[in-house]
Amino acid sequence: MSSIQKPSRDRLGDSLTALCGGALALNLLLILALLGLLLANGGGYFWQKPLEELTLADGRVLLGEIHDRKPVAARAGETVAPEAQRIQLKVGNRDLDGIDFLWLDESEIVSRSRPLDTVVLERLEWGNFYGRMVELRRGSELLAAGPEEVWKAFGPLHEEKLREREAIRKLEKGPIGDVNHAIERLRLERRKVALARLPAAAEEARLAGLEAAEREREAEYEALAERLFSLRAALDAEVVLLEAADGRRKELPVGAVVRALRPNTFGFLDKLALNASRLGEFVFDDPRESNTEGGIFPAIFGTVMMVFLMSFAVVPFGVLAALYLREYAKQGPLVRAVRIAVNNLAGVPSIVFGVFGLGFFVYLVGGSIDRLFYPEALPTPTFGTGGILWGALTLALLTVPVVIVATEEGLAAVPRIVREGSLALGATKFETTFKVVLPAAAPGILTGMILAMARAAGEVAPLMIVGMVKLAPALPVDGNFPFVHLERKFMHLGFHIYDVGFQSPNVDATKPLVFATALLLIAVVTTMNLVAIAIRNHLRRKYAGSAV
Amino acid sequence: MTPTAPPSSPLPTARTPRRRLVADRAARLLVSAGGIGIIASILGILVFILLEVLPLARPAAVLPERTIPLATPVLAALGDEYRTHLAALSPDGRVRVLRLEDGAVVAERAIDPAAPAQDEEAIVAAMVPPGSSLLAAATTDGRVVLQEVDWEIAFDEGLRRTVTPRLEPPLALAVDPERRPLAVFAAVQAGETDYAAAGLTAGGTVRLVTLFGSENLLTGEIETTEVASEAPAPAGLDALVLDHQVRNLFGGTANGDLVWWPVEDGRLGPPQAFPAGSSAVTALTLLIGDRTLVAGQADGTISVWFLVRQADESFQLTRIRDFPRQRAAIAQLAPSQRNRTFLAVDAAGELGLYFSTSNRTLWRGSLPLGPATAATFSPKADGAFVATGRGLAALEIRNPHPEITADSLFARVWYEGYEQPEYAWQSTGGTDDFEPKLSLTPLLIGTLKGTLYSLLLAIPLGVLGAMYASQFMHPTLLRFVKPTVEIMAALPSVVLGFLAGLWLAPRVERAFPALLLLLLAAPAAVLLAGWAWRSLPARLRNRLRPGTEVGLYFLALLAAFSVSFSLSERFEGLAFGGDFQAWLLAATGQTYDQRNAIVVGLAMGFAVIPIIFAISEDAFSNVPRNLVAGSLALGANRWQTVTRVVLPTASPGIFSAIMIGFGRAVGETMIVLMATGNTPITSWSAFNGFRTLSANIAVEIPEAPHGGTLYRTLFLAALLLFFMTFLVNTLAEIVRQRLRRKFAQL
Repeated sequence: MSSIQKPSRDRLGDSLTALCGGALALNLLLILALLGLLLANGGGYFWQKPLEELTLADGRVLLGEIHDRKPVAARAGETVAPEAQRIQLKVGNRDLDGIDFLWLDESEIVSRSRPLDTVVLERLEWGNFYGRMVELRRGSELLAAGPEEVWKAFGPLHEEKLREREAIRKLEKGPIGDVNHAIERLRLERRKVALARLPAAAEEARLAGLEAAEREREAEYEALAERLFSLRAALDAEVVLLEAADGRRKELPVGAVVRALRPNTFGFLDKLALNASRLGEFVFDDPRESNTEGGIFPAIFGTVMMVFLMSFAVVPFGVLAALYLREYAKQGPLVRAVRIAVNNLAGVPSIVFGVFGLGFFVYLVGGSIDRLFYPEALPTPTFGTGGILWGALTLALLTVPVVIVATEEGLAAVPRIVREGSLALGATKFETTFKVVLPAAAPGILTGMILAMARAAGEVAPLMIVGMVKLAPALPVDGNFPFVHLERKFMHLGFHIYDVGFQSPNVDATKPLVFATALLLIAVVTTMNLVAIAIRNHLRRKYAGSAV
Repeated sequence: MTPTAPPSSPLPTARTPRRRLVADRAARLLVSAGGIGIIASILGILVFILLEVLPLARPAAVLPERTIPLATPVLAALGDEYRTHLAALSPDGRVRVLRLEDGAVVAERAIDPAAPAQDEEAIVAAMVPPGSSLLAAATTDGRVVLQEVDWEIAFDEGLRRTVTPRLEPPLALAVDPERRPLAVFAAVQAGETDYAAAGLTAGGTVRLVTLFGSENLLTGEIETTEVASEAPAPAGLDALVLDHQVRNLFGGTANGDLVWWPVEDGRLGPPQAFPAGSSAVTALTLLIGDRTLVAGQADGTISVWFLVRQADESFQLTRIRDFPRQRAAIAQLAPSQRNRTFLAVDAAGELGLYFSTSNRTLWRGSLPLGPATAATFSPKADGAFVATGRGLAALEIRNPHPEITADSLFARVWYEGYEQPEYAWQSTGGTDDFEPKLSLTPLLIGTLKGTLYSLLLAIPLGVLGAMYASQFMHPTLLRFVKPTVEIMAALPSVVLGFLAGLWLAPRVERAFPALLLLLLAAPAAVLLAGWAWRSLPARLRNRLRPGTEVGLYFLALLAAFSVSFSLSERFEGLAFGGDFQAWLLAATGQTYDQRNAIVVGLAMGFAVIPIIFAISEDAFSNVPRNLVAGSLALGANRWQTVTRVVLPTASPGIFSAIMIGFGRAVGETMIVLMATGNTPITSWSAFNGFRTLSANIAVEIPEAPHGGTLYRTLFLAALLLFFMTFLVNTLAEIVRQRLRRKFAQL
C-alpha cells in the first residue's frame, strides 16, 4: 500500500493560477477604471474652477479656467525639462476669438493671479465670457460704472431680467404655441375638406367657417406677437459693457446672461450651491446652442417616456408568450426549438431590429396609417416617419425575449406542489395559472421588466433609425389635444452622447457635458440592473428550498 | 433546470360551474393563440426582412406597351418624360412628333431647311446623342444637323397632364468642308451652348468640329466659335461615338478593332487601335458618365471597355467584361440616362437589357416587329422605343434593381476609373452619373476584423477570469464579483463608444508603446504578486478567504500600468526611434489612424468580456462537485484538477460562451460607429479603421430612399447579420443544452 503523499508543489500550476487571477483582477480593474473615469470627468462638469489671469512672456494677458495639463512632448532633437507642462486653458469669449480652449507651455507664463473682480458670464449664445464688468447702461443712460458698482447693480437687475425671460418663455410655449398649433390644425382641416370631395355648397360653407376661424386665430397671433416683441425689447434694454483680459470691450444685453459669477470670491459652500444649481439646470432645462450647453431635460424625458411606452408593450406580450411556453404548450422538441429561437433572438444585433422597425413600423404600418387617417397632411408624413411610438415598439421586440426568459424562469421556480394543491382544491387550470402561479412568479416578471427597461434605456443604434433626433422641437407630451403625441420624434440620452460627442464642431467644449450625460445614463441603467439582480437573488433564495 | 411538465387539468366534476369551465377553456385558447401569435410574429421579423430583400434578385421585365404602324422608316427617335409622345427622324429629313395614344402626327418639320422638300434621301445617318434631347442627322452634303426637341409639360386643375412638343430651329455643323456625305458620324451636346460632331469623310479621315457658344452678357446673344480638327482614320471605320466633354472619340472598324482618338480643346490626337476580335464592330455607345464604352459586334458579342490608366500614366482601352452573345449582329445600342443599363437590339430582332457594373443580363426576348433601325430609352428609363421597318414598339421597362448580383455584392468588380477589379462600398456620390459601388465584402471584412480584435482581448480575460472566479474563489467573494461583471454587461455601448472614440483613442495614439510594454509588464507583475502571495506564511494565508489574493493582483496591475505608461516615452525612444508612427510607416508601410482596430478591440472587448465571463462561469461552476472531489481525492492538486477535469468537462460551455461573445461583437453598432473612422477598407491592419455591416446600416439607412436598391441592400446586410448571429447563437445554445443534460447525468 502506498502511503498518502502530499501533492508536491506545482510551481507552473501556481504561476498559471496567478495569471488567471490576474485576468479576473484586470476585468475588475477595467470596470472600476471606467466607472472612475466617468465619475471624475462627469462629476467635475458642474464644479466651478477659479479664474486665472496669466501674463505671458510675449506680453499677452489671458484669463480663463485651467482644465487640463500634460507633460510637454519632446520633439526630435530637443530636450525638455521633465517637469515642463502644457496647460489647457478655457478662455471662452468665442465671439471674440473663435476658440474656447487653448494649450500653452507653462514656461511661457510670467505671472499668474486670481483677481477678485473678474467675472464669468454664462450666456445664451457664444458660451462663457471671461473678463471684467465696466459699465451698465440703459440706452444712453449710465446706470453704474466701475467693476464694483456694476457688479452690485447687476445682481438685482439680472434677477429681474431672468423673470422677464421666464415670462417670454411662458408666452412662447403657452399662448403662442397654442395659437400656432390651432392655425396648423385649421390648415389641415381645410385640406381635409378639400380632399373630401363634398358637394360644392357644403364645401364652400365649411371652408368659409374654417377660414373665419383661421383669421380670428391669426389676429390673436398678431396680438401675441406684438406683446412678445415688446417684452423682447424690454429684455434687451439694459446692456453691460464688458472688458476681456486683453482690453477688448464687448456689449452684452443683461437679458442674454444666464448666470454671472465671480468665482475667485467663492468659498467652498458657494461652489457647492453653484454646483447644485448647475445640476438642476442640467437635469431640468432645455438645451442651448445645439445641445452643447444648457440642460438635457428633453433627452431625459424622451428616454423615460420611450422606456415606459416600451414596457407597456413588452410586459403583457412577453408574459403571455412565456405562459404559453411554460404552462400551456405541450413540452416537446417543437417547444424546445421555439425556446432556443426566442433565446437567440436576444442575441440578434439591435441594428437588425432597427432595420425591421424602419421597414415594418415606419414605412408599412405608419405609411398605411397616414394614407388612411392623415391624408390631409401628406406628403408630410405623420406616422410614416420615425417617432416615439415606433421606437418603443421596436425596442419592445428587441427586449421581449428578455421578458419571456425571465418570466419563464419565474414560472419554473413556482413549486409543483403549489399548482397541484390548487388543482386538488378544485380550481381550474385558468384559475390556478392566473391566481396562484402568476402572482408567485411576479418577481420574475418584474425582473424581466426591469432588465428590459435597462436594456432599452441604453440602446441607441435601432433608435437612430426609427425616430431619435438630435433636437426635437417639442416634447411628445404637451397641452395641445390629444396631449400625448406618439408620432413625434424624440430625444434620447444615448443619442445625445453620440451626437454631441461626435457631431459637434467644438468637441473640447462639449466633452464635459457628454461625460455628465454618460454618467447620468450609466447611473440610471446600473441602478435598474442592480434592482433587477437584487429581486432575482431574492427570488432564487425564496424558492431555492421549495423547488421540488 | 429541467422544465417541470405542467400538470394536466383534473377531470372537471359535475359540480364545477359551467361558467368556470368556459373561462378555463377561453383562457387556454387565448393564451395559446396569443403565445403562438407572439412567437410567430417575433419570428416574422426574419420573414419581413427577407421579403424586403427578395426584389433584389428579381429580373427586369420588358413589357410591350403598344405598337404603332409607321409610314416612313425611322432612323432616330426621342421620347418625352411621360412616354406620351415620340419625335422620330426619317430618311426624308423630317422630324415627326407622334402621339403614342393614337399614332397621330402632332408636329412636323424638316430638320434641314436647306434641303429640297421632297428628297427621299435627305439624310444618310441619324442618331440620338446620349443624354441629350437632340436628334442628330448627317446630311448628304457633309453636314451634321442637330434638332433640339423640347417638351412643355403643363398640368391643369384636375392634375391632367398635357405635353406639347416644341421643335427649336436646328443647328448645323459643317463637318466635311468639301460637302461629301459622311459615311459614319457622332454628335454630342457638350454643354449648355457647346456642340460637337465628328464624321468619317469620303477622304478617309476623321474630322471633328466643335462649336463653342458663349453668351454675350450685354446683348444676350450667343456668339459661337468653331474649332475643326482632322486626324487619320483606320480603314473600315463603321461606328463612332463622342463623349460629352469632347475629350475622347471612339470608333469601331469592320475588321474588329476599336479606335481611340484623344481630344484636347477640340483637337484630335493620333488614333490608337485596340483589337476586339475578328468580327466587325457594328454598334458603339457610351453609358452615362462617359467612362464605359459598350461595343456590339457582327457576331453578336457585346463587350464593355474602359480607358484604364497604366503604370506609365498613359491610357489603354481595356476590355472589362463581356455579356452573353446574342445570336445576330448587334444593330442598336441604347444607353439609359439613369444608370448603367443599356439596351441591345440585334439584326434578328432579339432584344437584350444589360447592366454594366454588375455584368447582369437583365432581360432577353425577341421583338415582334423584326430588325430595328433605331432604339432609345425614355428619359426616366422606365420605357424604351424601338423602331423597325414595320413599325414602332413602345416598351415598358421595369428594372428597379439592376445593380445587384452575387458577384457585385461579394466578388471584385472592375468599376469605372479603377485600375483593377476591387472590393468597394460607396453607395452615393456627388453627381448624377455616379456609379454606386455596393460590395458587401469590405463590410464583412470590417465586421470580422472588429470581432477578431475584440475577441483577442475578451476570450483570455473572460474565460481565465471565469475559471479563476469559479474554481479558486470563495463564494462570499464571488457574490461581489459576479454582480460587478453583470453591471459591466449592462453598460450602454454608446458610452463605451464615446469613451473609446474621444478618451481612449487619443491616449492610445500618444502612448501606444505603453500598451506593448503592458503586454509584458502586466503578466510579470501578476506573477510576481503571485509569488509574493505564496511566500506569505501559510498561517496568514489560510486565515484569509481563497481569492483574496486578487486584491494583490489588482495592486500589481495598477503598478504595471503606471510603470508602463511612465516608461512609454523612453521605450518609444529606444525601440522606435522616438516616434512609433513614423517607425511603423518606415518599417511596415502602414499608416496609423487614430481610431483603429486596437481601440475598437479594447472597447468592444470590454463589452464582450462580461458575456463570455458569465456563460463560462456558469459552465465551470456547474461541473458536478463529485468530479472535482474525486480528482482531488486521487491526489491531483487544484490546478491539475481544474485543467484536466474541470476544463475538459466545461469546454463545450466555454465554446458556447465564445460563440455568444462572437455574436455580440459581430452585431455591435455604436462602439464601432464611434471608435472607428468608418472607412470601408479591406485591410486587416490593426492600425487602420474599418466599417462594419452594422455601422454601415446605421450610417446609410436614414438616407436611403424607401424601396431603392441601397435600401434593400442594407436590408440584405441586416439579414446577413441576422443569420450570422442566429446560427452562431443556435449552435451555442444547442451545445449548452447538451452539456446541461450531460451534467445532469453525471
